Amino acid sequence: MFASPSSKEVLQCILLHKDNAYRLAYTYVRNPDDALDIIQEAIQKALAASKSLKDVSQAKSWFYRIVINAALDFLRKKKNVVTFDEETLETYGLSSQDAYRDFDLEHAMSLLPPLYRSVVVLRYFEDMKIEEIAHVLNENVNTIKTRLYEALRKLRLFMNDENFSKVDENG
Amino acid sequence: MDNKLNELKRQYREIPIPEGLDNIIDEAISKHVHRKRIRIRWIAAAAAIAILYISALNISPSFANASSKWPVIGPLAKVLTIREYKVEEPTYKAHIQVPAIADLGDKSLEQQLNNKYSAESKRLYDEFMAEMDDLKKNGGGEAGVESGYVVKTDTDRLLSIGRYVANTVGSSSTTFRYDTVDKVNHVLITLPSLFKDDRYIDLISNNIKEQMIARMKQDKNSFFWVTGNGQQESDLNFRTIEKDSNFYINTDNKLVISFDKYAVAPGSMGIVEFVIPTELIADVLVNQAYVK
Repeated sequence: MFASPSSKEVLQCILLHKDNAYRLAYTYVRNPDDALDIIQEAIQKALAASKSLKDVSQAKSWFYRIVINAALDFLRKKKNVVTFDEETLETYGLSSQDAYRDFDLEHAMSLLPPLYRSVVVLRYFEDMKIEEIAHVLNENVNTIKTRLYEALRKLRLFMNDENFSKVDENG
Repeated sequence: MDNKLNELKRQYREIPIPEGLDNIIDEAISKHVHRKRIRIRWIAAAAAIAILYISALNISPSFANASSKWPVIGPLAKVLTIREYKVEEPTYKAHIQVPAIADLGDKSLEQQLNNKYSAESKRLYDEFMAEMDDLKKNGGGEAGVESGYVVKTDTDRLLSIGRYVANTVGSSSTTFRYDTVDKVNHVLITLPSLFKDDRYIDLISNNIKEQMIARMKQDKNSFFWVTGNGQQESDLNFRTIEKDSNFYINTDNKLVISFDKYAVAPGSMGIVEFVIPTELIADVLVNQAYVK
């Protein structure tokens, strides 16, 4: 069933990180059903592409990248299909509000465009290093830093530039 | 700020895992085994799509005014605005100017760059519209983006175009992307192509660190994220440029490395640029045709 060694590694990685992969997907769609769809899609993609994983030590960031891409694909499709369908929007809005009425995290994430969401989640919630995030998002290190500060600015976590050095201490 | 982030992190950790997750995973794994058998059909379909795509590229007409039927060389090349995206609402504003190069004397290079410019502008516009929708859905907000271009260098030999994207709401942020073209030989100059090998990365990075420290000494108001700035060591500090860092060649034929806001310094520093002294990199330059 899993012929190449990388398939086994990929499967192991999926099972090891499944909970956090789910949470990662959830921050994009804020809805359990959609997050599960994304995870299913991502796992199928990861298994199908397990040969493309060259370096087993990078399995986690490789898998996270697939999850994030699946989430972004999902959002893109959703935008194309249902943006102007009021009924769907209403149901969608209600279901998320019902579950987490005073959800700070949800509010914070809704302030951020998807690309910025990724850096905040990976850096502060998944405790990844800047270089790992660069690998996950397939961007260079300086781009990630720019996005991170931009995201924190959008969240208004910084009132002025003097506070920036505090970010450094977290690292 | 730490508390706020810690609180968000705690909430993230507490996002409940639905019971269905394990089932979904089992299902995905078994589908994978099934999918192997039908993969061959997908490959055929993908090939068909690729052929369609290639023929579409071939028949699509190039920009009407950008004709290069005369055997002109570089100096006539010009940069013009071919399209604008505009959103004008009280709290949502976008103004995106799409540049195009004309009369470069090499259709395929011209088209390659122009296609990139229109695709990236379109994406920026789509992202803005998505953000605006999102904000409206969540009770409204403010968003603004401005994008355009500047011609940094336009000599007989070189054309350097910088395209910028600026966030115009709150404290503004700006990113720049440069393209530098040899107008005579019709080539897009990349950073690695200027050098014999990778040694330039360390040479330039070290010089930038020295320049950062020197600038901080000279001007008390300037500050960079770099080792030796008097702050605690951090993995956010600038260590090295990327192999294909953002750069242009200025009118004095000097190499300039440009960093976006927040990339190597606090936002108050804005976009920062470093002119690299040519004598420092002379040994590793392929030749001194562009950088002198």
